Amino acid sequence: MNLILDTTQEHLGKRIVEELLRSGKRQTEFERIDTTTMQISHCIGCNHCWLKTPGICSIKDDYAPILKKMSGAGQVWFVSDTRFGFLSYQTKNIVDRVLPLATMNLKFKDGQMRHVMRYDHQPDFGIVFAGDGDRDYLNWWCQRMALNFGSRSLGVFHVEQMQEAIKCMWS
Amino acid sequence: MHVVMINGSPRIEKYSNTDKIISSFGKGLLERGASFERYAISERRSWDAIREAYIKNEEILIALPLFVECVPGLLLEFLETLPKKDDRTRLSFILQSGFAEGSQLRCGERFLEKLPEYLGVCYGGCLVKGDNFGIRLLDAAGQEKATKPYRAMGALFAEGDGFFRTEAKKFTGPEYFPLPLRVLMQMVFKTIAKKRFQQAAASWGCDTPLDAKAWE
Ligand SMILES: Cc1cc2nc3c(=O)[nH]c(=O)nc-3n(C[C@H](O)[C@H](O)[C@H](O)COP(=O)(O)O)c2cc1C
Repeated sequence: MNLILDTTQEHLGKRIVEELLRSGKRQTEFERIDTTTMQISHCIGCNHCWLKTPGICSIKDDYAPILKKMSGAGQVWFVSDTRFGFLSYQTKNIVDRVLPLATMNLKFKDGQMRHVMRYDHQPDFGIVFAGDGDRDYLNWWCQRMALNFGSRSLGVFHVEQMQEAIKCMWS
Repeated sequence: MHVVMINGSPRIEKYSNTDKIISSFGKGLLERGASFERYAISERRSWDAIREAYIKNEEILIALPLFVECVPGLLLEFLETLPKKDDRTRLSFILQSGFAEGSQLRCGERFLEKLPEYLGVCYGGCLVKGDNFGIRLLDAAGQEKATKPYRAMGALFAEGDGFFRTEAKKFTGPEYFPLPLRVLMQMVFKTIAKKRFQQAAASWGCDTPLDAKAWE
């Protein structure tokens, strides 16, 4: 199952779902979560998810079911508005709270320090963005973020290049 | 020089590594006759006051932790509330992180390099350094020792060249660790460090293995 996390004010994930269905994908193969009406706090950096209740976030809001789905998904696509050329804060809050999927323990991978992941399976990450995002920068960031979480980047696409993104979904 | 220092960490000041870094940096500023006022975005209540200080002053320094390769979500939200200013205002940054190698912070630094342009202000450089995860877990003397190098950077900043001088560039330390050191550290990670982390967790009342699979 692949996950589409839609934080955009215009609910652009809906358009992606329509395209997916048009291209012959079945509804059971993916899930879109519209987070715009959900209560999702920023990460407060309490470190409880590493040192007090390993794997469990201390903030009790609407995020926990999303994280669980992310953890089990093959692909996670962030559909995001952009600010300052980067993701919106709503999307970044979701990303910052992925920390419970990693452990505090450290290792070296490809010459750099990384955290040891908690679960055997890691989802890959992709971005579909709206507005004036800096695509080169987002690409770099997505690759680094995916590396940190033991996976790989699926690519970064402007919403107007949605077809390209869709080719990467289920490829 | 009068500097407005803003702690961009979502952690409340008491527990924030950035807070300790700002304190040390501030000592360096004072040493050279500069003054400063300080704020923290972790308390939303203070956002109006921070914005006001940002508008009124021309020397702004945001000190922040790296959060997943870029700035914390909460800081992004705060930044959205800032009005555009002109290039008489200079915006500089202290970017600090958990991982120790300089290369780990470059993606975050790139975002900060571009940010002033979006806000209409000019860029005063970015002081980059990792290996700060444990500051808040140290006692007062340990915190003072760990953050002491930032004092010299405060003194340097008071001279007016932002973070563009060679001393500031060198402050980062190695971009990557050499292979023999990595091999040694890897051994430490698997043994002593793992044990230490579990001990730290025990002191927080946790008896679960740190690599427990919460959902299985
Ligand atoms: C949600 C989250 C994400 C983080 N991401 C990174 C990262 O990508 N790279 C890194 O080196 N450190 C990362 N860190 C570690 C912090 O940058 C580091 O512990 C910093 O000293 C915290 O400062 P503070 O106490 O002022 O918040 C992260 C910490 C948190 C809580």
